Amino acid sequence: MPAAKSAVSRWGLPLGLALLAAMPWIMPPFQLRLITEAIIFSLYAVSYNLLLGYAGLLSFGHAMFFGVGAFATALALNHLAGIPLFLAVALGTGFTAMVGLVVGLLLLRVKGTPFALLTLAFNALVFAIAVKWHTVTGGDDGLSISPPAVNLGLFQLSPSNPIDMYYLTVVVIGLAVAYCWYFTRTAMGQSVLLIRENEERMRFLGYNTNVARLNLFIIAGALAGLAGSFYAVFNSFVSQDAVSIAMTTKVLLMTYIGGTASFVGPIVGAVFYTYVQDFLSDLTENWPLIMGVLFILMVLFAPGGLSGLAKSLAARLRGANNHERGPDENH
Amino acid sequence: MSEIAVFFLHGLAYAGLLFLVSSGLTLVFGMMNVLNFAHASFYMLGAYFAYSLVQVIGNFWLALIISPLLLMLIGAVIERFLLRKVHVLGHVHELLLTFGIAYIIHEGVKWIWGTSPQAMTITGFLAGTVQFMGITYPVYRLFLFSVAVALGLAMALVLFKTRIGIIVRAAVDDSAMVEALGINVPLVFMGVFAVGAALSGFAGVAAGPLLSVFPGMAESILIDAFVVIVVGGMGSLGGAVLASFIIGQLQSFGVILFPQFSLALIYMLMALVLVVKPEGLFGEKQ
Repeated sequence: MPAAKSAVSRWGLPLGLALLAAMPWIMPPFQLRLITEAIIFSLYAVSYNLLLGYAGLLSFGHAMFFGVGAFATALALNHLAGIPLFLAVALGTGFTAMVGLVVGLLLLRVKGTPFALLTLAFNALVFAIAVKWHTVTGGDDGLSISPPAVNLGLFQLSPSNPIDMYYLTVVVIGLAVAYCWYFTRTAMGQSVLLIRENEERMRFLGYNTNVARLNLFIIAGALAGLAGSFYAVFNSFVSQDAVSIAMTTKVLLMTYIGGTASFVGPIVGAVFYTYVQDFLSDLTENWPLIMGVLFILMVLFAPGGLSGLAKSLAARLRGANNHERGPDENH
Repeated sequence: MSEIAVFFLHGLAYAGLLFLVSSGLTLVFGMMNVLNFAHASFYMLGAYFAYSLVQVIGNFWLALIISPLLLMLIGAVIERFLLRKVHVLGHVHELLLTFGIAYIIHEGVKWIWGTSPQAMTITGFLAGTVQFMGITYPVYRLFLFSVAVALGLAMALVLFKTRIGIIVRAAVDDSAMVEALGINVPLVFMGVFAVGAALSGFAGVAAGPLLSVFPGMAESILIDAFVVIVVGGMGSLGGAVLASFIIGQLQSFGVILFPQFSLALIYMLMALVLVVKPEGLFGEKQ
């Protein structure tokens, strides 16, 4: 068993990276757009799981970060002439971090169920602003943007070209996801995990748990903002959908269907959701109903999500009874 | 002067509706410690059932009775076969489950009744207007407010003056003791949840003629009802009364005083309460 595991960890990452790099040659262009979208949503779901899976903070307002990132980047591109793409994305992400700070200071004063409920209310507030503030956000019409090409010296990458956009997304979003993984391994990431398990003890040990939680909230928010920012660039368009409650629901479904108990769960969920949505929406316009039923079934019978199912299946195949500790097992 | 009176009455009518919705939400939260995200979806279902009933039997009063009863049944089934199963997994799972149910109802309603708004018409006495103090005012809005007052009083009476109320409140504090006294506690919780669902269904029927019936009606009232229970203090019936009144008036006068920010006013109130007293006006410290 340990040998099998080390083979996976030795070859898994290089193989995965090679596969990602080869994607434009294997897949037809319309598939490439779907993959790009799935990668963007992977970061959105991973950032959400930092809150839900790692810190035990159930938020119903993650779309406010996603949407704020999308709008801030779109506004920077539209109003600051000649701004490089990466600077606009950085501005969008940075602005989202500031929103995370303000909202976090207000919301983290309450815990548990009231926290969940307040995140929804703040999401609704941000949505109301996006709808009403027509002169800035375009209201119901949304904002069209024309993202500039990224000049890398030897060659240029243009966001309007599916292959270029794919590589831009793989590199930037991939690095952000890798950062998330790294973060869960750092002292700060681990302390958040321990705060969830026993906050009193952590406070006794001298940790300022409120600051740790606020930091996590800002980081998760900023990364969701980065995902939103790329989503805007990817579509060359942003509308109030990006901040809607439906966008929050989406990340919740993705994360939960994938599984909150492991780092890769939300990535699995985001890819699964994107593809199943694409498949089902051709069959029936009531596809969200199927997603909802799937979600309920997961909550009832497989709280570990798809990744949890895969884990227990693998354990059963090996005939072993291993209890690998995931971040979400002690609820 | 008479214009201010009209806006005040508008505020009262909306406050009545908000209280009807948030009373069931508060009841379920206060008694079972479950925040029911599907509450507003029950409200929407109540309105749609009533709309269909009025189409078929043509009687609003009957719909006002039958629709909540249907919701009571649905609530009992959901508690018995879904919610109870995830109770052992903790609050997060209970919340997620009700969230999933809300999602399914939302999509199901669009599937069955379509997405366009349906007008629910009332006839007879309720459709008329009354004149007093120099103003003409629709009877239905006054009716909405009176029903909310009557319901609030009835709930307070049942909870604090009857044996049923004592059992329910005791089951919250020490369910093992109540169980030992020979009372079926799971049945009590099922009853509370079913009554909560019936209350939301009732609110939905009442809202139908005022706001019309459409798939977005759940989302908008859910957030207002959440603001009510955050401002009032979670699980506090008195808090729900006061917060409904404040938010009803804020909505009503906000529209004439600050038409641009009327939507943001109630969130500003919520943020203010959060800063000063995070547990809400009548809430207990966590």
